[in-house]
Amino acid sequence: MRVGETAGSAERSEQRAAVRPDWGVGLVLLVVAAAAAARPLLDQLLDRPAVANWATVFVALAVQAMPFLVLGVVVSAVVAALVPAGFLPRVLPRRPAVAVPVAAAAGVALPGCECGSVPIAGRLVGQGAPAPAALAFLLSAPAINPVVLVATAVAFPGKPEVVLARFLASLVAAIVVGLVWAGRGRDDLLERARRRVSTEGRPLAVLVRTAQHDLLQAGGFLILGAAIAATLQTVVPRDVVDAVAGSGPLALLALAGLAVVMAICSEADAFVAASLTQFSLTARLGFMVVGPMVDVKLVAMQAGTFGRGFAVRFAPLTFAAAVASSAVIGWWLL
Amino acid sequence: MNRAAGGAITVLVGTVLLRLTLTGTYRRYVRVGMGPFLLVAGVVVIVLGMATLVRALRDRERDGGTGAEAYEGHEGDEEHGHGHDDRVGWLLLAPVAALLLVAPPALGSYSVDRGAAVDVRAGDSTFATLEPGRGPVPMTLLEYNQRAFDHDGATFNGVPVQLTGFVADAEAPFRVVRYQIACCAVDAAPIAVRVVGTTGDSPPRDQWVTITGTFQPAATGGDEIPAIAATGVVEIPAPDDPYE
Repeated sequence: MRVGETAGSAERSEQRAAVRPDWGVGLVLLVVAAAAAARPLLDQLLDRPAVANWATVFVALAVQAMPFLVLGVVVSAVVAALVPAGFLPRVLPRRPAVAVPVAAAAGVALPGCECGSVPIAGRLVGQGAPAPAALAFLLSAPAINPVVLVATAVAFPGKPEVVLARFLASLVAAIVVGLVWAGRGRDDLLERARRRVSTEGRPLAVLVRTAQHDLLQAGGFLILGAAIAATLQTVVPRDVVDAVAGSGPLALLALAGLAVVMAICSEADAFVAASLTQFSLTARLGFMVVGPMVDVKLVAMQAGTFGRGFAVRFAPLTFAAAVASSAVIGWWLL
Repeated sequence: MNRAAGGAITVLVGTVLLRLTLTGTYRRYVRVGMGPFLLVAGVVVIVLGMATLVRALRDRERDGGTGAEAYEGHEGDEEHGHGHDDRVGWLLLAPVAALLLVAPPALGSYSVDRGAAVDVRAGDSTFATLEPGRGPVPMTLLEYNQRAFDHDGATFNGVPVQLTGFVADAEAPFRVVRYQIACCAVDAAPIAVRVVGTTGDSPPRDQWVTITGTFQPAATGGDEIPAIAATGVVEIPAPDDPYE
């Protein structure tokens, strides 16, 4: 029973509103009807090339992410429904030095892109898994799974060292972040992921309830992130990035920043990286390592799942670890 | 948000996904191969939303139809726990409304000069020399570019070819462009061919055209965009699959 835990005056007033039957469904229909009434306006807006470009990128990001989000939500719900409470803390190694690398390596097993791993990592934390391990998994899964590695090999034909470098740099960055979080992280910031949907009741009821909750929450933040990414892509001129083309640390930072802004799916970023020929291989490695770990839509989703205070600390930490690990591995292998 | 609203939004999201996939409109936004995944995702989302709606309404019935039931009884409990968390789910209605009413177009000329260009020499494909005498050969803009760089276009062998893309410039000589996408429109990279030798008014920007013509070797042999000496420019409606 979670009644009263966070119930405040806001919810009480919501409760009064809820006395009218179906206010929720009514409101949904109202929003759709209002949008329909505004249709001529939408049509006019889409006649402007910049707006049309924004809308296309926005919709593309959202549509592209849906299958992966659904996969993540379903896996997360199955974990909630079938894994008994207290099971994960019991079976997982307690020492971060063991748990973090194991969790990071386990990322190999989740084929998908970054949108799917956020709800899963949130669920793992909610089920009591050690936060550093869950976070290492969150970072590594979208970067080192077979689908992404194969895509990278296809995008860089005849250069297997790029695939190896991507695998190693992503794994190292995920482990470093996990260990840093184990040492200095503040688990109190993860409260949001801990206080989640109750797992009481029959498995099917839990399945539907958690899947529904995760889909709305992660999906809502995905939309927010997609809108930000589409705006940045439409507004920021690309010459800014091309101006620092070449090799050297500045190029690496520029492409890492581009990865944050573009928010491309990790299954496709290798193709974009391959086309950025004016940059060094190390800089392009940075693009592929940072992208699946830190980008605007991902940070929005992490903020939604774990809390804003968490995302504010976690994103810069991850960015720094990903850039550093790309620099070292790139210097060594590429 | 209350449970029924969440369910209704979810059903709408799934419906839009299904509609996008079944009408083929999804090809404006993501690569063709994602169709089956979108279909499965749409079905799962609809089932989930229906299940939520049914449960919410059933609980209401059980509790006497006052509407307050969503916040009482076991099923409703969790809404107190995360009532604020999933309020952000309302945002899902934004793309839903946009797609139900007006489907944004495929990427056009606006971002041609903004995105990364495709490195046509990245592939090591080799091409057979075209056989003359069988009318214009349809080919992708990518293949045209690759053939142009392969031995300076020797494999064209003077055979006329047919290219399809949209017009990227307002004035002649214009470029005809098509995007390559790896996953979705976000990673689109344009491939261009310069159209030379046209007379009269060139088609408007963003108009889809089919160009018939022959390969025109570069004057300088430099890095410039390959050119086609056009003998025919036909305006066509936007194709179902706008990307290469």
